[in-house]
Amino acid sequence: MTIAAEEEMPGAKRGSSLIRSPQFSSLIILIVLLTVFAVADANFLSPLNISNMMAFLPELGIIALGMTLLLTAGEFDLSVGAVFGLAPVVVMLLVQNGEASIGVALLAGLILCVAIGAINGLIVTKIGISSFLVTLSMLLVVRGAALYITQGFPLKSWDQPGFFVTLLAGSFNIGSFRFYTSLWWFVGLSLLAIYILRYAKLGNWISAIGSNRNAAVARGVPADAVKIWLFILTSVLAGLAGMISAFRISAASPVAGTGYELEVIAMVVVGGTALTGGRGTILGTIVGALMLRAIRNGIVLIGVPGLAYNIFVGVIILAMLILHALLQKNAARG
Amino acid sequence: MAQEVLRLQNLQKSFGSVRALKNASFTLGEGEVVALLGDNGAGKSTLIKAISGVFPVDRGEIYVRGQKVSIRSTRDAMDLGIETIHQDTSLAPDLSIARNLFLGREPVNLKWLGVFAPLDLAKLRDAASALLKRVGISKKLDADALVSTLSGGERQSIAISRAMQFAAKVIILDEPTNNLGVEETHGVLRFVKEVRDAGHSVLLITHNIHHVFQVADRIIVMRRGEIVAEQTVADTDLLTVESIITGADMSALLREARAK
Repeated sequence: MTIAAEEEMPGAKRGSSLIRSPQFSSLIILIVLLTVFAVADANFLSPLNISNMMAFLPELGIIALGMTLLLTAGEFDLSVGAVFGLAPVVVMLLVQNGEASIGVALLAGLILCVAIGAINGLIVTKIGISSFLVTLSMLLVVRGAALYITQGFPLKSWDQPGFFVTLLAGSFNIGSFRFYTSLWWFVGLSLLAIYILRYAKLGNWISAIGSNRNAAVARGVPADAVKIWLFILTSVLAGLAGMISAFRISAASPVAGTGYELEVIAMVVVGGTALTGGRGTILGTIVGALMLRAIRNGIVLIGVPGLAYNIFVGVIILAMLILHALLQKNAARG
Repeated sequence: MAQEVLRLQNLQKSFGSVRALKNASFTLGEGEVVALLGDNGAGKSTLIKAISGVFPVDRGEIYVRGQKVSIRSTRDAMDLGIETIHQDTSLAPDLSIARNLFLGREPVNLKWLGVFAPLDLAKLRDAASALLKRVGISKKLDADALVSTLSGGERQSIAISRAMQFAAKVIILDEPTNNLGVEETHGVLRFVKEVRDAGHSVLLITHNIHHVFQVADRIIVMRRGEIVAEQTVADTDLLTVESIITGADMSALLREARAK
C-alpha cells in the first residue's frame, strides 16, 4: 500500500550521510585549522605545545561530555563554571580545617555537586522553569558561595604526593610528550559517553526526550528522571574537572572556571550537537573541544594580540555554526 | 456486536469547577471502528486522556475484556493493550524509524545493565523491517531513515504500525488526518481499515465527519461532557450527525428517537 506520493528513496541518502554529518564537517575544519597553525608557526606542533594543549583539554572536555548529553535531552546548564570553582574550594577548606582527610573531602565535594545538579534538575522538571533561568541563578548562588567561604582568596591546593594526586593530576612522559592522567579520564569518560548515547537504551531515551518529549513520555520513558540524572552527571563532571584543575596547578581559586559554561556550550555546538535537543554527538564534542583548545592556543602562537583573540574565537565559532546550519538545511531538502 | 473489548461506565472528571466529563459510558467491540465526534470542548480529549492514562478519572469504571482495571499512567494503558496516537506527539523526529518503533520497549542485550544495557541493534533493525513489510510500507521506507525525513502520512502509518506491533487491543487515533493532504488522508483511512481487519479495535477522534462515514462502524457524539448520541453508521447520515454535534436540532432528534 502507498501512503505518500514521495518519489525520494530515503535509503539512497545513507551513503553520503557520514560526509554530511555535522561531526565530519567539524573534523575537516579542525584539520584545516591545525594545518594553518602548524604552517604559520612551527612551534604549534612541538612536543611542549602539544603537551600544554593536552593538559588543558580534558578539564573543559570532561564537562563538555556531560553537557552534550544534557543538550541532547533538550536542557543545558550554565552553572558548570561556578561548580568547577566551588567543588575544589570546598574540598580544600575541609582538608585545611582538619575536618576531613583528603579522600573524604573529595567525596564530600562530589556529593555537593550531586546536590547542586539535583536541585537544578528538580526545579527544571518539576516546577517547569527553563533551564536557562534556573542554572543562571544557580551560577550566581554557587559562585557567590565559593567567594564567600573563601573570602575571595585562593587556597593552596593539596600538593602532597599520594594516591589522589596521582589519580587526578599525575603526569607521565611518552617520548618527549608530557601527559596528565586527566587525559585518561577524558578518554575513558568519552568512550563511556559514546557508548551511552549511541548504543545504550538510555541514549535512545535521551535523544527521544530532546527530540519530542511528549512522544517519549507517551511511550513510558521517564523523561523527568532522565533529565534530573543528566543535570547531576553534568554537575559532578564539572566538579571533577575543577578538582583535576586545582590539583594540577596546586591552587583552588574561588573564581576558577569563570566563563567556562559558555566555552563548554560552544565546544558542544561547534561539534554538531543541536542546541534545541534531539541530535547529539560525542565525537563531535571531542572535535569541538580540540578545536577550541587549538584555536585559543594557536591564535596566541601566530601572534594575534592577546586582547584581540576573543574576536577570532568568536568569529570561528560563528562560522562553524553557520556551516552546520547550512548543512542541516541542505539535508532537510534532501 | 462482536465481543466486548473496552467498556467505560459512568466516567466523570472535573477540573476545578469545570465538569469536563459528566457521565460517559460506552462499549467498544472487537474489530470495530468507533468514531468519537464532538465540537471543541465537548469532552473528547478528556475522555481519551482518561482511557490512555494521562490522568485518573474522579469516578466511574473502565473494563478491558470484562476485567475491571485501573489506569494510572500511560504505561498502565499500554500494558493493558491501549495505545493512543496523537498527531504531533507520537514520534521523535530525530530518531530512526526502527528506534521510534521500539521506543520505551527497546530490545536489549545484557538486560541486567538496566538503562545502560546495549540495544540489540540487529534485532531492532530486523524487527522494524519485518513490521514495515507486514504493514505493507517497506518498499517506501527504510527502517534506518530518520522520521524527520518522512511525510505526515508516513509518520501516521509508522505510529499506527507501532500500536499494532504491540498487539494493542484498542488503538485510539486522535485527529489522525489533521494537516494531511488528500492522498495521504486516504492512505491513513485505508490503513485504519486494515488495522480493523487485523482484529484491532479503533477509537477514532476526528472533526471530519466525511472521514467517519468512510471508515467507522459506529458513531458516538459528545456534547458538554456527555455522550448525547450513539448510532451505527448504517442507520444515520451526515446531516443528522452534524446537527447532533452542533445541537442545532436536538428537539427534532429527541422526538425521532422517542418515535423509534
